[in-house]
Amino acid sequence: METAILVSGLKKNFGQTRALDGLDLTVARGEVHGFLGPNGSGKTTTIRVLLGLLRPDGGTARLLDGDPWADAVKLHRRLAYVPGDVTLWPNITGGEVIDLMGRLRGGLDRRRRDELLERFDLDPRKKARAYSKGNRQKVALVAALASDAELLLLDEPTAGLDPLMEAVFQQCIQEIRHEGRTVLLSSHILAEVEALCDRVSIIRLGRTVESGTLADLRHLTRTSISVETEQPITGIESLPGVHDAVLNSTHARFDVDTQHLDAVVRQLAGLGVRSLTSTPPTLEEMFLRHYGGAE
Amino acid sequence: MTTAGTSTLLRFMLRRERFRLPWWLLGVGFLVSYQSVGSQSLYNTPEKLAQLRATLGANAAVVAMSGPKDLLATIGGEVIFEIFSYAAVVVALMNMFLVGRHTRSDEETGRAELIRSARVGRHATLAAALSLAGLANLAVAVVTFAATAGTGLPVEGSLLVGIALGAVGMAFAALTAVFAQLFENPRGVYGAVGAALGAAFILRGIGDTTNGALSWISPIGWGHRTLPYVEDRWWPLLLPIAVSVLLAVAARTLLDRRDFAAGLLPSRPGPATASPALSSPYGLAWRLQRASLIGWAVGLFVLGAAYGSVGNTMEQYLKDNPEVANFFPGGATDIVNAFLAITMVFQALIAAAYGVSSALRARGEETAGRAEPVLATATSRRAWLSSHLSVALAGTAVVMLASGFGEGLAYGLTISDLSQIPRLMVVALVYLPAVWAIVAVAVLGFGWLPQAAATVAWIVFGFCVLVTVFSDVFDLPTWVQNASPFAYTPQAPFEAVTAAPLVVIAVVVVAFLGGGFVGFRRRDIG
Repeated sequence: METAILVSGLKKNFGQTRALDGLDLTVARGEVHGFLGPNGSGKTTTIRVLLGLLRPDGGTARLLDGDPWADAVKLHRRLAYVPGDVTLWPNITGGEVIDLMGRLRGGLDRRRRDELLERFDLDPRKKARAYSKGNRQKVALVAALASDAELLLLDEPTAGLDPLMEAVFQQCIQEIRHEGRTVLLSSHILAEVEALCDRVSIIRLGRTVESGTLADLRHLTRTSISVETEQPITGIESLPGVHDAVLNSTHARFDVDTQHLDAVVRQLAGLGVRSLTSTPPTLEEMFLRHYGGAE
Repeated sequence: MTTAGTSTLLRFMLRRERFRLPWWLLGVGFLVSYQSVGSQSLYNTPEKLAQLRATLGANAAVVAMSGPKDLLATIGGEVIFEIFSYAAVVVALMNMFLVGRHTRSDEETGRAELIRSARVGRHATLAAALSLAGLANLAVAVVTFAATAGTGLPVEGSLLVGIALGAVGMAFAALTAVFAQLFENPRGVYGAVGAALGAAFILRGIGDTTNGALSWISPIGWGHRTLPYVEDRWWPLLLPIAVSVLLAVAARTLLDRRDFAAGLLPSRPGPATASPALSSPYGLAWRLQRASLIGWAVGLFVLGAAYGSVGNTMEQYLKDNPEVANFFPGGATDIVNAFLAITMVFQALIAAAYGVSSALRARGEETAGRAEPVLATATSRRAWLSSHLSVALAGTAVVMLASGFGEGLAYGLTISDLSQIPRLMVVALVYLPAVWAIVAVAVLGFGWLPQAAATVAWIVFGFCVLVTVFSDVFDLPTWVQNASPFAYTPQAPFEAVTAAPLVVIAVVVVAFLGGGFVGFRRRDIG
């Protein structure tokens, strides 16, 4: 697997604050990689290190086979970036900003630019001071998506967009995926992550806590079971992987780690199952568990 | 009630202004008392005042830059003649920013929306902002009274001057309130008020040098026409008061005709695509800074012209007031060139203030988060910093040339010798290395101590002003005086220009700039 981003053991301190504490991140070429974590967990700091704006205090970071600090200018020709908090020059129009950013990166596709303006329904003639937060976000998005960059670094790019624009954004990312380009997408919108991302990395307190495909991650989590049997249920709570069991003679409700599901179901089968509902973990539950650091 | 919450808002506004407003008041007080003390010690006999009437009063350029010559009848009037126009400009700007900040700026940033969603009436912000201006102008009146009466001028005239200055300020506050309804962004408001202020200054300048009619349509002229310490007329104050009331009512009426956050004049759309000029970091830096560069250049051209216009009267002036010679290097010999040199140093310091503020724009872009997206493109840190720096360095050169051009033009016209224009433009450039040295300190700070860069740069600038302008007043030790780059700059055109000191300063400039770049390439952005 060819890698676009390879970060290992990355450390960064701001004075007394430890922003990154040994973070690992691997993004393969051609994949859309979800980058998740609660606010202040180090997502933006990681992206800034990858852009060569911050100098890491430890660990290594490689970007498109280059050193993000030393080869910054060379690498930036090949990537596009959307900051999480888009501030623009108040007296310059959105269209001018898009053109300027494109030219500074080394040219932009005018046809693609105009098409994106249309799709995102953005008026390029307005001065930036007159744009709402969502429209400023669109300016940065159009500037990035109109490029032919092989890597896109997107820091919560849809935070201010309405659902319609969110859909347009997802379409654009799907197109980029088909073109074989790479995207690192930091996001809080789980539906977006589920729809777009091949793999995700979850970070917390400056450290990677989980990384893999969504299916992998689901596998590591619990399924909720509610069951009614003919014979009274006993001993189920002491089986490995069973949590929060509530037993009431022939009724039981409990959570089970997904890798122990098979053993538990076999045990239940011997008791004569009358009804059984199994609820797979929702993404929300999964993330809340990681974000909160429970367990 | 549409004014519900006004008093609460007013208290809140006063709190927001508690650190800013005192500086404006202090500035007005300093300006007026400095002039009062200076004039009273220079023209301390009736004969000297009579000579002054004959020389200054007959010089149209001086009258155009100061006030009506009727004021020159008494020493108090002389103080007003010299300082009132400038004090009025300061007070007008204070009122413009005060009202603009609390009305249009707050609406634009969305702060006002939060306020208006509370139990606050539609007219409350406007009423509170104008009340705030009223209180500020009352303070101006008190400070001006203290600065004039406190320095020994008659009490009635002092009271009149104070109230006149406050009343002129109020007229500009109410004018700002009107423009704040028309324009959608504060820049438009400030531009329009600034233009009105410039017109007020020019109209009274023309009026005072002709039959006086045009002075009567200028608020600054109204203030002059009270003739403090000369006739002490109170009735002209009715004009600014009536205009303030009318404009306030107009602002209120206009406010009712517009939506929140909108202006009555629709904002013009800009270009949909960027011109070829906006293709590099240099194009961007120029675009961001060109308006302020033009403003500073025009300002220094006008100041240069003001100085140049009186250059030729210096000899006569010095004969009338021999003790003034102490202020000039070399005493009374070669007085014109000594005067030109002193004014050039002063303008160079102003150019340095521009240069520092321009160089610090780089830091402003960084803290606002606008450097990050540019540096995330194929723009190197060196190119990005160079772009802002080239505007700062070339801009200070432009500003200095503008002041030399203005001074050469005005002085050349009064002595019928236009070769003064190229001569004084070259003279202006002699001070450029010293100006760049102060700018270079800001760049060095930006590279290594970004958080402290602005503070360090302005302290160094203030220090240079202190040792250059007030060195005699404070009797500073030699080594302190020698810490300023101006100590090594030949005082052209009074002193002969030698290359060696300029080269040394230039070497220091290059070293500081290089150091700044090295620091910036090594540090974190943000």
